[in-house]
Amino acid sequence: MIEADGLRKRYKDGTVALKRVSFRLDKKISAIIGRNGAGKTTLMRILSTQMMPTSGSATINGLDVIKQADEIRKIAVSIPQEARPVDYMPAVDCVKLYLAARGFGSKQAKVSAEKALRTVGLGDSMDKIAYELSGGMKRKVFVAMAIASNADVIFLDEPTTGLDPFSRVEVWSAIRAIKGQVILTTHYMEEAQALSNDVLMIEAGKIFAQGTVDQLLRPFNGLVRVESQRKKGTAYKVGSTWVSYVKKGMAKSLVGKDDIIKPVTLDDLFIKRGVNLES
Amino acid sequence: MNRKFVMAHAWLTGGAALRSNWLYMVTGMGFPLSLLFIVGVLSEGSLLPYALAGGLISIVASNGIYTMADLGMFKFEYMFKDLIVTTRTSPMDYMFGVMLADFFWSIPSIVLYFVLDIVFHILTPYAFVMTIIVAALVLLATASLGFVLTSLVRHQRFVWAITAMLSLTMMVFPPTFYPYTYLPRDVLWAIAISPTTPAAVLEQGFFGIGPMMWSMLGVLVAETVILFLIAKYLTVWRER
Repeated sequence: MIEADGLRKRYKDGTVALKRVSFRLDKKISAIIGRNGAGKTTLMRILSTQMMPTSGSATINGLDVIKQADEIRKIAVSIPQEARPVDYMPAVDCVKLYLAARGFGSKQAKVSAEKALRTVGLGDSMDKIAYELSGGMKRKVFVAMAIASNADVIFLDEPTTGLDPFSRVEVWSAIRAIKGQVILTTHYMEEAQALSNDVLMIEAGKIFAQGTVDQLLRPFNGLVRVESQRKKGTAYKVGSTWVSYVKKGMAKSLVGKDDIIKPVTLDDLFIKRGVNLES
Repeated sequence: MNRKFVMAHAWLTGGAALRSNWLYMVTGMGFPLSLLFIVGVLSEGSLLPYALAGGLISIVASNGIYTMADLGMFKFEYMFKDLIVTTRTSPMDYMFGVMLADFFWSIPSIVLYFVLDIVFHILTPYAFVMTIIVAALVLLATASLGFVLTSLVRHQRFVWAITAMLSLTMMVFPPTFYPYTYLPRDVLWAIAISPTTPAAVLEQGFFGIGPMMWSMLGVLVAETVILFLIAKYLTVWRER
């Protein structure tokens, strides 16, 4: 279980990335959603003991991230955003090296690495040099590290950013194979909806919503999203498009022929807050 | 110390990787062998023994500089440092792992230099043993320096700039390819700030091609200890 109380992070240049955030995450897979620069990565770095907070506290399974970092490192794994396997090493060696860093002996590391790579579907590619792997395969190497480490808590920072839709689905499947508690950050709403039991929504260093996908979408029950080029009633501007919400049954009679009707997703929580996710 | 990681890193990114990336090994030999060739030709062979004795130091120093470049790659390109910070591996384990991996890449060059030293009849058992000791000190000093500097920079392009400057100050100015007696004493002591200077001076003494200057051993040991302590205590590991 992860708990944070009043976590704040101010960087040397004065940027305040986290503004006293408090939350509790205890579900199997939790997603932290926010656009670029919202504070997701800073939060992950603090929780995974890569970075010190400016103030506030947080615990991982009861262990303090500031005072008990060494203990946390025994039970938690963190896969950074944009991490890449070392180009000139085979995939299996990349996983073995990571396991050695976690204290695995060479035989144990070999067995665990090969097993984990097979679990994520890289059984036939484990001896390939990393630069020969596709983007999706490279990300799966890191998911294999998380699986092989057998850790209680796994932090995945934007595990599918930049991947094509097929590779993303493959990585999702690999993430589901992880046994420990997973906390992942993403700015793909469908990713959070597909994977997580609990969603934490963050914007400008503040958490503005938390719950299951169903709970978060409850205010939109029975509504659909209408995207239009002209403002109609209560509408929110996203780029050059106006977004409004109408009851499902009335959608066809209310909207014009150029309007687009879409089902409501977690995106709409940001849209209603006036946050342009495309920016 | 997490010896499993140090050995795994040294072997997996050094020894094992060497087999499929042998071209880099040849590239690593390029700079010291080019200088050896130029010094040999321009001096009509008279400075060749100096270049052969100092070339070993040059290779080991370039090994340390490569360590910095690799640490930069691991930090900025692969995000490997971020991955390792959250494990039970300490900064020193990490530094030793990368340093020893790079050492694997230098072994063929070192062997080649020792062979050339034998061919040109300047290697004695005493010089061999003392060279190993001096080389180990230079390796630790340069890797420590690279480790600290990499932890402080914020982008890979700074790493390339610093490594280029270090190559100049550590491999060209110090008397690694010419007799240290050519230099005025003041200049010699000024450039002794680079660990390769005391190392090269000592090497010329051990190989019997220059007067022995034992005070340089004290300088080299002191520099190595100071750089190692700076790396151990001032390296930015967990970000603040």
